Amino acid sequence: MAGKNESAITEWWLQRLTGAVVGLYVVVLIGLLLVHGAPNAEQWRALFANNTFRVLTLLALVSAFYHGLVGVLHVWPDYVKNRAVRAVLVGASWLAFIAYSAWTVVILFALKS
Amino acid sequence: MTDASKAPLPKARPRPVYRNIGFGDLARYRLPAPGIASILHRVSGVGLFVGMLIVLPLLAMSLKSDAGFEAFRGMVWGNPLGRLILIALLLAVVYHLVAGIRHMIQDANRWLDLATSTRTAWATMLISVVITAIVVARVW
Repeated sequence: MAGKNESAITEWWLQRLTGAVVGLYVVVLIGLLLVHGAPNAEQWRALFANNTFRVLTLLALVSAFYHGLVGVLHVWPDYVKNRAVRAVLVGASWLAFIAYSAWTVVILFALKS
Repeated sequence: MTDASKAPLPKARPRPVYRNIGFGDLARYRLPAPGIASILHRVSGVGLFVGMLIVLPLLAMSLKSDAGFEAFRGMVWGNPLGRLILIALLLAVVYHLVAGIRHMIQDANRWLDLATSTRTAWATMLISVVITAIVVARVW
């Protein structure tokens, strides 16, 4: 089992790695917006019909959710001192991470006809 | 021989004396720029994590059908509140990214002195507002 310091270092690196993944995705999206302008329905559908783009979107969004989870888990204890409220926030953050991830899979893959 | 202990000491700069602070003094206490950059990084990050509650339903709606896409467009672009929320989310993600890059440069022990850190903090805010403005102007 990894020690506490090891897992903290892994978390530190994962936070930067996921940040870089989301950052690249955001840069590409903004680039597309700047080159093509706001998409119409057809362009939007065509973009998401591409399986590679869908998988990259899933990767970027789940990276963003994990990055956000680690972020808020570090933020709550700085402001919330009450143990019960803290526990609720930690639970809610984990639930949000899981629900967001599952929801994204449904949006990107299951809803497709 | 002169006695070193009797040499005149350099005149000390008068130091502020704090006894009790009033409302007038409170106005002089400001968070330094790196502190503002840091709290904005947190606020934008938490805002984006919670903001997914808005982004994900909109993404689902936009991909469901052509009618759904038009409904999505009407919601995020067809009314002032939708535009405001969308622009705020865009600013948050751009700011969080630019501030994140600055954060990682500082992880590498660069730009850490107060003067540089202050300049890059203001630059982070300025650059993210400019990028957001360019994107908004492009799609307006």
